[in-house]
Amino acid sequence: MTVLDIQNLTVQFGGLKAVNGLNLQVQQGELRCLLGPNGAGKSTTLDLICGKTRATSGRILFDGADITNLAEYRRARHGIGRKFQVPSVFKELTVIENIEIARSRRPGLLAALTTFRTPLRGRVKEVLDRVALTDHIDSKAGNLSHGQTQWLEIAMLLAQDSKLILMDEPTAGMTIQETLKTAEIFNSLRGEHTIIVVEHDMQFVRQVAQRVTVMNQGSVLAEGTIAEIEADARVKAVYLGH
Amino acid sequence: MNRTNHYDFLGYVAFAIIILLGVPFLLGFDGFELNTFARYLALAMVAMALALSWGTAGLLNLGQAATFGIGSYVMAMHLKLAASTGNPGGMPDFMGWTNVEALPWFWQPFQSLSVTLLAGLLLPAAVAGLMAIFMFRGRITGVFVAIITLAFMVALQLVFIEEQRFTGGQNGLTGLAPLELPGWTVDTYSLPFYYLVAGCLIVALLVGMLVVRSKVGLVLRAIREDAARLRYLGYDVAAYETFVFCLSAAIAGWAGMLYTLVLEFASPTYMSVSFSLAIVIWCAVGGRESLVWASVGAILVNLAEGRLSDMFVEGWLLILGLLFIFFVIFLPRGLYGLAVAAMDRLRRSPRTEPPVPVKEG
Repeated sequence: MTVLDIQNLTVQFGGLKAVNGLNLQVQQGELRCLLGPNGAGKSTTLDLICGKTRATSGRILFDGADITNLAEYRRARHGIGRKFQVPSVFKELTVIENIEIARSRRPGLLAALTTFRTPLRGRVKEVLDRVALTDHIDSKAGNLSHGQTQWLEIAMLLAQDSKLILMDEPTAGMTIQETLKTAEIFNSLRGEHTIIVVEHDMQFVRQVAQRVTVMNQGSVLAEGTIAEIEADARVKAVYLGH
Repeated sequence: MNRTNHYDFLGYVAFAIIILLGVPFLLGFDGFELNTFARYLALAMVAMALALSWGTAGLLNLGQAATFGIGSYVMAMHLKLAASTGNPGGMPDFMGWTNVEALPWFWQPFQSLSVTLLAGLLLPAAVAGLMAIFMFRGRITGVFVAIITLAFMVALQLVFIEEQRFTGGQNGLTGLAPLELPGWTVDTYSLPFYYLVAGCLIVALLVGMLVVRSKVGLVLRAIREDAARLRYLGYDVAAYETFVFCLSAAIAGWAGMLYTLVLEFASPTYMSVSFSLAIVIWCAVGGRESLVWASVGAILVNLAEGRLSDMFVEGWLLILGLLFIFFVIFLPRGLYGLAVAAMDRLRRSPRTEPPVPVKEG
């Protein structure tokens, strides 16, 4: 089943078409990697899906609904989650508060008015155990190490429990062990969640990706398994020049 | 956070006990002194209202005095009408002097006590809500919120001064009747009146603290840090911002109603820039992150003003300014920050462990 269907999507910044007539279909439960040289429009594509940037033309269908012109918080409520390139946790809040914020099944004002502390059990505990932050729940997120901050952000994504998760270079700045552990978590997420990852680390891509889409100059250049992509002459040309 | 909440609650209880028992005892149950202190409590309430939006969500409403002023005029209109029943057409005296033919339609509802009490809360909330919808749907933040709210207040004050026929102009509304509650003619120099004001402050603080401690408070603190990120988690940031703005305005209006009762008149100076900035100073001195401490800040600064302005009639504003500069530079979190630091030291001293355990992941 196609969960995300991008049709002829274009966005124009001044004279530059950052994404140009993009067509992309992602199946339910798939883990898709977006590759491409700098400026290929990978991050912009994620921005368009989550609503950070509005499309100039074209359509985005998610779960059968047209979300092209929805506000970003409405898309999030449809089940689209986003992890940004720069770790963005709430530094002034504690670890558990960050998770509480991310657990936004009922993000409405009235529900929030009647919700007090979320206890450390169920999904919250499970998520924190998984990223080994259970001992730090009362630490301010700003006091965590860089690696822990990354884990907290992934934990927030897990707590948010989005149907579609968009990630921009999730392993940037991670050690080899951390990258491996991240790959492990990703592999356990596929199936239940649909994931789109922008990533440069080919080692990581080989570990997680089923299908890879290579973008160039705002459109799809090639699509296929990692082996097919690595053998593709056009992809080589784009990456190596000529 | 749970620990901080715990202290907050203890602070609240201590504050309530001091206000309800300590202060009347210290003042020797003297009517005049109690009335003066009731004035400080009304001001503490508006400071707490500002802390609600500024301290939690980082939305600095420099026009807080506008909603305070609306509340105070609403109450004054009711009391003015009660004092004017003997006049032709039941009209306030100043309307007679300015040749107003009949009581204007927007004065008439305030003959009713219940309408007045509701309007004193809802009118400021509606005005702030309207402003908030325009600002926050447009994603206006930071210093621009401060400028827009300040400009709105200046405009509102001008309207109240210029429309003398309907508002009493520069003089405000004076010569008010005492408030008639069912079975109680309120004597503002009495212990029961003091308890009315103190009770209102304590209830308002409780409402504010419940909001701050609910998930709404958490979302508001997250908004202060990164509103954009919250949107990607599914929160309608503008709705939360509008809510806290309205709640803050309603409490400010409530405080304004009490203030009119205490001083027995309403004046356009309640909506002045200097008064609005004074609220900000009280908040900064007490600590904007804590509702209780913001109230304490208002009480302390006004106590000091009461004592010092007799000695330094001309120089008082200068002292206030210096005080503000001192706090901004040396105690940016106000007295609350000082208290938190003291508690941390107290808690940590028995053991000698590093401040924040950070383990590499």
